Amino acid sequence: MNDPGKCLLKRVIRRIPANMLKTTLSHWGRVSDAQLQSVDFTTSKWALTEKLLNICEENELTVKHVTELEMIHVIDYPNLGMWYAFQLFDPDDAAPSVDMTQFKEQFKFHLSKLMRNVSVKIKKHTDEAIWIRVAWGDGFSRPNHMKPTYVVHHLQSSYVFVTRLTSKLKPLLSQALVLSTRYQGIKDANLSGRNLAALRNLLMRQYQQVFSTKFSTPLAEKSENISNPQIEREQAESATKRHQMACEAFGDGVLPQLQSAVYKLETKFRDHNNKTMTDREEPFKCIVKFTSTNLLESLRHCASSGIASTPVTPLLSSVPVKGRNYFVITDNVPGSSSQTNRPQK
Amino acid sequence: MDRATTSAASTPHRSALVKRRSKSKSHRQSYRSCSGGAASRIGLTPALTARRLNTSRKAPKSLNITERVNAEHLALLVKTKWKLCYATPLYQFRHTMLKSYARQLSAFIVAEKQRGLAVEVEGAQNHFRASFSVLQGLAEADDPETILIQIHSKPLFSSSEEPQRCVWSGWLSCINGNLDYLHSLPQGFTCLPLFGSSGTEVLTTLVKSWCQKTFDCSFGPLEINYTSLQWFMALLTNCHTESNIQHLKMIWSIPVEPPLQVAFTVSPQDAWELWSSVRTATRDLADPGGCIDFEEVERFTQGLKSHFYRHFRLDLSAGSLKEVSTALGGASINGRVKISNSRYMITTLALLTECALLKMPI
Amino acid sequence: MERASTKGVLGHLSLLETQMRSCRGKHQQLNRTEQLKAKVEALCVQKEQLKVELHTLQRLQKVRSTLDGNGADDEMDDDSENADILQLMAKCARLKDLLHAHHLIGGYDVVKTRQDKGLCITLTTAYEGIYLDTYHLEMDLSPKLRISRHDIPPFIPLNSLVETTTQTALRPFLDFLSQHLNAFTGRKQQLKLVKEQHKSVEVMESNVLCSVLVLLVRVPERKLPVLCILDYTDHSRSLPTGVKFECDDEPPNFEQWKKSCRILLERPVHKALITMKSLGCIV
Repeated sequence: MNDPGKCLLKRVIRRIPANMLKTTLSHWGRVSDAQLQSVDFTTSKWALTEKLLNICEENELTVKHVTELEMIHVIDYPNLGMWYAFQLFDPDDAAPSVDMTQFKEQFKFHLSKLMRNVSVKIKKHTDEAIWIRVAWGDGFSRPNHMKPTYVVHHLQSSYVFVTRLTSKLKPLLSQALVLSTRYQGIKDANLSGRNLAALRNLLMRQYQQVFSTKFSTPLAEKSENISNPQIEREQAESATKRHQMACEAFGDGVLPQLQSAVYKLETKFRDHNNKTMTDREEPFKCIVKFTSTNLLESLRHCASSGIASTPVTPLLSSVPVKGRNYFVITDNVPGSSSQTNRPQK
Repeated sequence: MDRATTSAASTPHRSALVKRRSKSKSHRQSYRSCSGGAASRIGLTPALTARRLNTSRKAPKSLNITERVNAEHLALLVKTKWKLCYATPLYQFRHTMLKSYARQLSAFIVAEKQRGLAVEVEGAQNHFRASFSVLQGLAEADDPETILIQIHSKPLFSSSEEPQRCVWSGWLSCINGNLDYLHSLPQGFTCLPLFGSSGTEVLTTLVKSWCQKTFDCSFGPLEINYTSLQWFMALLTNCHTESNIQHLKMIWSIPVEPPLQVAFTVSPQDAWELWSSVRTATRDLADPGGCIDFEEVERFTQGLKSHFYRHFRLDLSAGSLKEVSTALGGASINGRVKISNSRYMITTLALLTECALLKMPI
Repeated sequence: MERASTKGVLGHLSLLETQMRSCRGKHQQLNRTEQLKAKVEALCVQKEQLKVELHTLQRLQKVRSTLDGNGADDEMDDDSENADILQLMAKCARLKDLLHAHHLIGGYDVVKTRQDKGLCITLTTAYEGIYLDTYHLEMDLSPKLRISRHDIPPFIPLNSLVETTTQTALRPFLDFLSQHLNAFTGRKQQLKLVKEQHKSVEVMESNVLCSVLVLLVRVPERKLPVLCILDYTDHSRSLPTGVKFECDDEPPNFEQWKKSCRILLERPVHKALITMKSLGCIV
């Protein structure tokens, strides 16, 4: 095995958690059962790596094979970096019938036409997601397997999730994706986060959304420990209402784990106590970033506890409704195109 | 509880009994009893916590202290993020005995280390050298000069000719301390209420305990409360015309489950325009140098909060302000500050000295 | 600590003083509680009164607005003797509205939301008599009919469905959408049943929309593997529009496969496979 292969193997072994190593290796299928038996998995990672390097030499494995191992690991542990969502738009008539084989051939074909020296590996995961690993080179150098881009796509879903992509290579990947999925274009979906499943569930609407229906069961109510029954009775109704509205805005139960939402505000400053600023023509520029271990759950709690007023402002409820966590907000000027939301007065 | 408060009012503030019962209350009382002055007086009613600090202060004048302060010292002060504590007045401290203090502290650190306590590096007895120096040029009026303490050490595996590195720095300071208070101190006490440190926690603890032992003083954490953080915000923004603040950033924490953090960053020009719009016009005309009233500071924060509320319908008052920062410096509630621009060093330290004096038990 | 300070006359006096003070405090507190309690009761009564007033007012307004809506020109006095007739007229108008609404929404489960400013429509799906997923659409009524929120998966082309139906024709839109959703959940259910019931058949490929299904089946002779490709181009149906067979070896028995094709096009895939098995086409 050449040096890049060795480097990659070392890194992959280092990243795989010790208790998962045996399972992942047997999943890989490039090491025989007998060889696997001969490895002592209780020794240090360093010793293990040496042993595995020997086995790979023995089996005459190449860097290509090691990339398979890396893919298996990344599919198992996808939440290691930032994932960015992109959206395909304007499908061709042929788009709904693109199948895995077609897509695979087309993607490899288009990408290698756009750039020499790329190494592409495509694998279909059990949940029908297509995982693509792209190692980029350029006209002169071989593909760099240490900095691969990962792409996840569900055929016919119009969403693509990408991690570790440099802006220089983005146009190439975009073009290859558009051509091979038979869409007209691709755009930034303004959604990013560390948890791939969360982004996917949010966009595919696979979480418990709440609607008011005839048959709706009352939402599980929070027990608020108010000592005075009078006050409790007075407040119970509005508390229930707030809770219902909070759940309608953000969803019920465990929500997709987003870490942040960013709003770039360029709106007029309006305050009846401050005439000078209200009269000012220019917008008041600021950036607001919300962060939490689970942003949607935090926001839901804000609304149900009354810290945020209900009904929830469209600015906040746009995160789940539109599946975005980056917004540029400007005042709606008649005639201007809008990628914008108007703050409700 | 009720009874304790009543007795506190009628008992002299040095009473140990009162102190034990309601510590914080008696501290404030003692400081207040010294600061009878009309202008810099703390709120009349203890309930109005927002008025504990000066309700009005001078706008920060850009002060070129580069000529007064040793360049190396200034560079250290500016580049470091400091963790703050308050320190009670030092007994029998002499600015003339710094050399002797340095020897004592070095010996103390070595001794503590030999007792098998604390210090992390083993077998490096002679590798700690403490130094004391006067940080001249900061003090104003009757303030005692600021003291800089540094601890130098050599990495464990290093050659003998390699110079020692500074592994810990700290200072004790008093800038624009309340004169009534300073003058009321009995003979033999030096008031350097602000203690800043940067380095390992272990060394900080050692330095503190040496000071406690030597000068019969005590240290406590210095939280920078909401009022002071608001002052920080306003004072820093007020500097914008002289040196660009680049941004005004506030970090709020909202008590929900899981906790929500809100970072609110305002563009420098807009922050400044909002600030000038809340200044009281008449005052500006009468006194161009300007005093800043706390009311103006409050209007400023209120303006920012209402702009936020108008968009997100979320009341920031329900949470707490954790941190404020601009390119000129920043402060956080847990007593960490950074002063990035030497021109506003004095103003900032004066505000912090005031915080420390208020926090102090005696 | 208290005991320590009671020594001496002065100590005793101060003790008495504090006792007296606390006594007075308690008394005042009690008084205050009484006052507050009385106030609470007064406010409660007032609240009830206001509620009743509000209710009457609202009813009155409703009657009035129905009147206005029907183009009645007479102003109604609050104490009009015609109140009964007006009530009846209002009821009649309400019934007419309901009838009209039924024409519009055709029996879909619809509830009003946000103080009548919106609608929430529930679409249930079922396949072979089993209720499957439920989907929701929340719509704004003004300024124009618009979908504000929904939980329909993004691969259902909701936007193009909206475009094909006009603003006023809510019912055709709902019919169309419901057909789509039923077809989708139907295909999904079939796939689930194939996986459950046919262990000898391997699902090689499928997608989120369940519009492509590739199965690996084996013919009885030499257990030859054959790929069976089902294509559901019409997304509003749960039956395939195209069936293809692929085989590496010699072309399979033509007549038999033609028959299999027909079966697959006519029946749900899990049932078609049972039939094919019983006919001996596959293992």
